[in-house]
Amino acid sequence: MNDHHTTDEKPGWADTPQFRKWFLRILIGASVLSALAGFVPAFKKDHPHFALEAFPIFFAIWGFGAFMFIVLVGQHLRKLVGREEGYYDERE
Amino acid sequence: MTSANSLLEALLINPAVLLSIGAFAGALLPNHLAYLRRPLYLVFILGSAVQLARLGLGSFGELALFGEPVTMLRIDPLARIFAVVFHIAAALTVVYAWDEKDRAQSFASLAYPAAALGGVTAGDLITLFVWWEVAAITSVFLVWAPGTRATFLSGMRYLVIQVLSGTLLLGGIVLVYRETGSLAFGEVGLRDETGAIKASGLILFLAIGIKAAFPLLHNWVQDAYPRSTIAGSIVLSIFTTKLAVASLARAFPGEEALIYIGAVMTIFPIFFALIENDLRKVLCYSINNQVGFMVCAIGFGQINGAAGYAFGNIIFEGLLFMALGAAMYRTGTSKATELGGLYRTMPITMGLCIVGAMSISAFPGTLGFVTKGLIIDAAGEAHMMWIWLVLLFASAGVLEHAGIKIPFFTFFAHDSGKRPSEAPMHMLIPMGISAFLCLFLGLFPGPLYSLMPDQEMIKEYHPYTAYHIVEQLQLLLWAVLAFAVLKLMKWYPAEVPSTNLDTDWFYRIPGRDLVMWAAAATGAIWNVLWRLFTGRFMQAMNRIYTVHGPEGQLARAWPTGFMALATAAVLGLVLILSFVA
Repeated sequence: MNDHHTTDEKPGWADTPQFRKWFLRILIGASVLSALAGFVPAFKKDHPHFALEAFPIFFAIWGFGAFMFIVLVGQHLRKLVGREEGYYDERE
Repeated sequence: MTSANSLLEALLINPAVLLSIGAFAGALLPNHLAYLRRPLYLVFILGSAVQLARLGLGSFGELALFGEPVTMLRIDPLARIFAVVFHIAAALTVVYAWDEKDRAQSFASLAYPAAALGGVTAGDLITLFVWWEVAAITSVFLVWAPGTRATFLSGMRYLVIQVLSGTLLLGGIVLVYRETGSLAFGEVGLRDETGAIKASGLILFLAIGIKAAFPLLHNWVQDAYPRSTIAGSIVLSIFTTKLAVASLARAFPGEEALIYIGAVMTIFPIFFALIENDLRKVLCYSINNQVGFMVCAIGFGQINGAAGYAFGNIIFEGLLFMALGAAMYRTGTSKATELGGLYRTMPITMGLCIVGAMSISAFPGTLGFVTKGLIIDAAGEAHMMWIWLVLLFASAGVLEHAGIKIPFFTFFAHDSGKRPSEAPMHMLIPMGISAFLCLFLGLFPGPLYSLMPDQEMIKEYHPYTAYHIVEQLQLLLWAVLAFAVLKLMKWYPAEVPSTNLDTDWFYRIPGRDLVMWAAAATGAIWNVLWRLFTGRFMQAMNRIYTVHGPEGQLARAWPTGFMALATAAVLGLVLILSFVA
């Protein structure tokens, strides 16, 4: 193992404000494009199984909503099942 | 009865037996030749693969066991796709742990995949049972490998659960034999002709369900796998659950209950993975979630989806395990709170990890995309909207815990200050091959599709349709956008060092207390009964001793006069009796 702590090094590329700005821009651009693509008739399913599938931005909404729900609601599970790190060590 | 020659022939033709011989041969190498162990394993894996290809499809090693026909080796399309990916995985993990010198662990890292291979290629239930148990016993050596008390206890719990699964399997086999008069391993089904659940089906279902880690039966995965060594946990993550998936696909295709069980499996691990700090445990929850997709596919009767996704999952989940393992190899930890910022010095591992993360999330162009679509489509074809919505929801969940959390907290997030070297070459090579397979088979799925069991169906399936790409990109990109929003708003929960209770709590704390109490109560009752018994017994013995002992009345020497008197009395009695008569 040869890890060591450094204090006076330059920030890594992923920590620079430029990278974060461009990453966000590309992400937003790609997300908007994917949503717009949902409106293109040639990109639609000929025979959707459900009415929801025909809604142009259904998958965007479901993906965004599901992720938000998982994180914002799921984190409260910690209150129910979270214990100190050595919980079992002390009891076994 | 089978002759010894035909038995030997049937054994030697079997690729799983070849691998097992390789495992023993490697284990028997003396310590100063330990460096030859891994190359030897690769030779045996190659030999086994050649044997598999040489045999082609068909049944081999057919014998009579106590008058019953058994087929020790059946290579049909379902068995073949699992056998192929098991060979790839076995070879990759052997290379990954190239510097591992521990004899028991090295043995298990080939004997256990061999057993899983034997299980998926078993043509009868007895052969399946044998390999099922061998897989349980050989894999526990990987859990025990670190050699601590915690791993010993965990290994014992793991073994109990695995052996329970094997015992149930044997019970199910007996009932199936009684019902059908055959030991052939084919479709069993959960219900009889009247639609009632049959005991044989239910017991087999439970036996396989334990190994597949059905909900509430799942926690042995999180309890045992993350405790193993770095390479051990990767090997463990691949085989047991996939053997169960292959067995479910064979015994219960199209069983509706599996749709709901699979749907639950895809959902609940997402929440546990979110709050888990140990990233290896996060990946173990991911196994539950991923197997859930496969179980769902079997429920829909979409065996191509189940087998294809199992193939894909072994490659991309294995890649995530390997990348995390490389970080752990260099830093000594797999905790999110202690990792972070490793992209600076481990850029290749980071890049390969992101390929695995994108693949498990099913981004277009990856192995996940061309296999998961089959399962989501099956829900659509079945017009089960709620299940379809659940699977899409779970896909966003996969992106959260496996697609983002693993690479983000290992290589980015907060800077841990650790500046380890890049992963060693023996780890980079298998990771590189896995990443290549993720992308190559993702872009050109033809070779994978040609292995799928239902060729009629797969010929009609085209993953790269415009709507499939747009739907998937919308789902995933907007989910990533949600992550960005949560981070920017500082709503994403910080990782906390903790232990999260799961179903294993029931048998580790109250269950253990109950067993300890029962043991103490049994001991106490035994003591009371023993004291009671020994008290009465000793009392009786004392009385006998008092009378018959050396000091007792009956032990006294009687005088001759007493004898003469007694003789006279007896004679007198005889005279009286004679007179009366």
